[in-house]
Amino acid sequence: LWLLSPELVLLVTGLFLLLFDMMVRPQEEKSWLPYVAVVGLIAALIATITLWGCEETRVLTVLSCDGFALAVKMIAYVAMILVVLVSDAYIQRQGSYQGVFYMLLLICTMAISLMAGAVDLVLIYLAFETISITSYLLTGYLRYDRRSAEGGIKYLLYGAGVSAVMLYGMSWLYGITGTTDLVGISQGLMVVEESMRVLLFVVMVLLSAGFAFKIGAVPFHQWAPDAYEGAPTPATAFISVAPKIGGFALILRVMLTMVPRTEFWNMAGDLWVSIAVLTMTIGNLVALWQSNVKRLLAYSSIAQAGYILIGVVAISPRGVAAVLLYLLAYALTNLGAFAAVVAFSNQTGSDEIEDYAGLHKRAPGMALVMLVCLLSLAGIPPTAGFFGKLYLFSAAIEQPSPILSLLAIVGVINSVISLAYYWKVIRAMYFLSSDEEERLPVSLSLNVALGVALAGVLLLTVFLSPLFNLLEVAARTFFG
Amino acid sequence: MNFPILSVTLFAPLLGALLILIIPREDEQTIRRVGIGFAFITLILGTIVWILVAQAGAGELQLVEEYSWIEGFNVFYRLGVDGFSAPMIFLTGLLTTLSLFYSARTITLRVKEYYLLFLLLELGMFGVFMALDLVMFYVFWEIGLVPMFLLIGVWGGPRREYAAIKFFLYTLAGSVFMLLAILGVYFWTGSFSIPEIAQMAATNPIFPVGSAMGVAAFWAFFIAFAIKVPSFPFHTWLPDAHTEAPTSGSVILAGVLLKLGAYGLIRITLPFFPREFHYFSTEVPIIPVMAILSIVYGALVCMAQWDLKKLIAYSSVAHMGYVTLGLAAAAAGYEVLGGEEAFQAAASGLNGAAFQMFAHGIITGGLFFLVGIIYERAHTRELKAFGGLASQIPYYYGVMLVTGFASLGLPGLAGFWSEFFVFRGTVYFLEVAAIVGVLGVVFTAAYILWKIVQYIFLGQLDEEKWGGLQDMEWWEKATMWPLLLTMVFLGFYPTPLLQSFDAAFTNLLELLQ
Repeated sequence: LWLLSPELVLLVTGLFLLLFDMMVRPQEEKSWLPYVAVVGLIAALIATITLWGCEETRVLTVLSCDGFALAVKMIAYVAMILVVLVSDAYIQRQGSYQGVFYMLLLICTMAISLMAGAVDLVLIYLAFETISITSYLLTGYLRYDRRSAEGGIKYLLYGAGVSAVMLYGMSWLYGITGTTDLVGISQGLMVVEESMRVLLFVVMVLLSAGFAFKIGAVPFHQWAPDAYEGAPTPATAFISVAPKIGGFALILRVMLTMVPRTEFWNMAGDLWVSIAVLTMTIGNLVALWQSNVKRLLAYSSIAQAGYILIGVVAISPRGVAAVLLYLLAYALTNLGAFAAVVAFSNQTGSDEIEDYAGLHKRAPGMALVMLVCLLSLAGIPPTAGFFGKLYLFSAAIEQPSPILSLLAIVGVINSVISLAYYWKVIRAMYFLSSDEEERLPVSLSLNVALGVALAGVLLLTVFLSPLFNLLEVAARTFFG
Repeated sequence: MNFPILSVTLFAPLLGALLILIIPREDEQTIRRVGIGFAFITLILGTIVWILVAQAGAGELQLVEEYSWIEGFNVFYRLGVDGFSAPMIFLTGLLTTLSLFYSARTITLRVKEYYLLFLLLELGMFGVFMALDLVMFYVFWEIGLVPMFLLIGVWGGPRREYAAIKFFLYTLAGSVFMLLAILGVYFWTGSFSIPEIAQMAATNPIFPVGSAMGVAAFWAFFIAFAIKVPSFPFHTWLPDAHTEAPTSGSVILAGVLLKLGAYGLIRITLPFFPREFHYFSTEVPIIPVMAILSIVYGALVCMAQWDLKKLIAYSSVAHMGYVTLGLAAAAAGYEVLGGEEAFQAAASGLNGAAFQMFAHGIITGGLFFLVGIIYERAHTRELKAFGGLASQIPYYYGVMLVTGFASLGLPGLAGFWSEFFVFRGTVYFLEVAAIVGVLGVVFTAAYILWKIVQYIFLGQLDEEKWGGLQDMEWWEKATMWPLLLTMVFLGFYPTPLLQSFDAAFTNLLELLQ
């Protein structure tokens, strides 16, 4: 049970928040709730760190406690601490039900934790749905705002459809192998008959639909822009990061436990290579035309998922470690950018890129963080994003397959394209002038978030080696 | 362990930048003092580095520092300098100090950010000249990019935004492919160490013979550097960037940033891919043709310019063409290095190229200062608008004459030696290229004398318009004098610099043998 301590801490904190939200009436007295959430997350993070290095063990037969799971959890907790800091000022202004927001965040974090370690299809599906449902609720959190509601409903309908498809695929898998345990399934697949091959391909496609939805990959990405735009901005920050962490944990776990040991990897591999190419390219190209910063970041994060997939299809310890590293870098970077977006919209109520004109005069610190984060997203050294991409692309080039080398080249070309739209924001902030001269104040918690993100994005460079070593240990979970 | 002087030099600008960060923005005087002070410290440190390298033997890499950085990946924090890079570090320190000194009185807009970015830029340039690890090299290569981009984009001329993004995209487009090539090299050699890979490449090609990968990697590196040099046909970003950048930005751009490209060609492309470089210099002479086109085309465009700053920008294209030409000559000699005479000729090509890098930094840096000085007063750079200024601003005229003559390669000034050595190498291996290339020298003389000297200084003075024009202030003189002295000193006594280069290149060529 000790092995479950991070999840339990999160659950208890979440319920505590919910209770207090209902019991304490005057809204003014709830301003300390986010700090409770932060404390809960830090406690979970510490619990995870103490578990680091433990033997690989099964908990309740459906949950594995191994290096990979722990690494994913740590990344998720760090990201969520930032999300809470980003949310504070915004949510306070929304008035009622502040506690619920944080409760949902924590429950979702718990589900991601479970997803990281889940080795049974039933638990995987449960965790998948929990992440999804909390995400829908957070997207639609502003009940009286039409766009928020629209985004929430769209996300919900899309997600419900896709998860049904995935569940269908899972049931086929159960039918073929007679078990829901991933290891059992992989053994079952090894002895599968020749005539079942086509079936397996269908299963693969069905499962992939669910995975692609979760990480926002093409062709299951259309929910993202509307959900991102409509959701309250802190929730946008959240859905741009959290479901992706869960989704990639899921993909790696499923793919690497059962796929490479059967030759049906060939099919799945080609499928995912094409998904990666399409995701990067479409995400980047569509982003070029966006004028709303939230939509722009939505498409940018679609493209980012495409880059990360490069590490997934490399199927190697270094590839897995690169995916984890990039997830961390991406989480820090994207949340840094969103912290700036939230801080900006708190003060001006706008998300249009053109309103960012002259920001470097009105809020130099915020503009600087935004600049660094955008450069990191584009992969310019010496930011975390650059090193993340370096690892991802090198994991692909390292493999003998020429397709993967080509994939890396596509990734590089995409990085250059992406600079064109990040440039739009930079241009507005630094090159355009506006009539507004007054300085923008930034709340304390947002300042902390901005500072943490900036430090993370820049200092990751210095601690690259120990960090990557840790992640490689984590990656060895799948490679004996 | 010895005192890590290279790391100290490298990170001194960063320290300065951090200090500036905590000074309140209203206190512009302190910011300026700190900025200039730190730049000056790096100049002193750069000088010490050069002296130490010269004493320890300029042929070998000296003052090497090596720490593991990313273990699983063989990336090292690895610094070192030899007789080739030490003068470049000195040049960087010198021009940065002068630029900041000059900016103290010309930049009034957002002083804090300006000095901060300038020091970060210096960090990037130092890093490139010191790095012995490909990943480090790449990181510093890109670090310099953003500050320069902002310097052009925020403090530049009317079309600054276009120029800034063009500069950024050109460089980035080249460098991302370089990154892929770096990764490719790594997976074939298992190393990111520049000297180690050069060592390996000398005996066996990095990539299997005849495979397309070798050629692709060669071009990836070559084009990334050729964009920065810039060599025709990749030069189109340069006139825009130079023309729009603030004076000090142009000085650094022409004086040091272009050298980064040439430095990469000599430090990385040539030793890593001597066979490909040879092939594309002789059998399929793309590289000499690029060099010649840069020289001749650049010079011809200069003749047609009426904007003084643009003229000097294009003259950079032409002058950097000599660097490429000298390099092509050395590469062309790759297969015949056995003979003493051929060896000398190849070394002379490289020496000329490196000497040109240094001399061009000093001279064109000076020319851009001079453009800035007159623009500050006249608010125009239109050559036709001037005339007869020789009597109005005689001091300026004298300074411009010396710098201009140095630029056209008059014996007794720094520019002469670079052309001399480049052509000495080129004549030996690439006769036709040498003959066509010499035309460039003639054109240079033509545009310097005809366009600059005649249109600005000679003829009838328009009393009404220019009667109030002031001659150079003391601080402008103080900016120019170190450069003038260097030009004259190197013109009469090029030996210290040449020895330094020669030692480094003799080693390089012996390695290739």
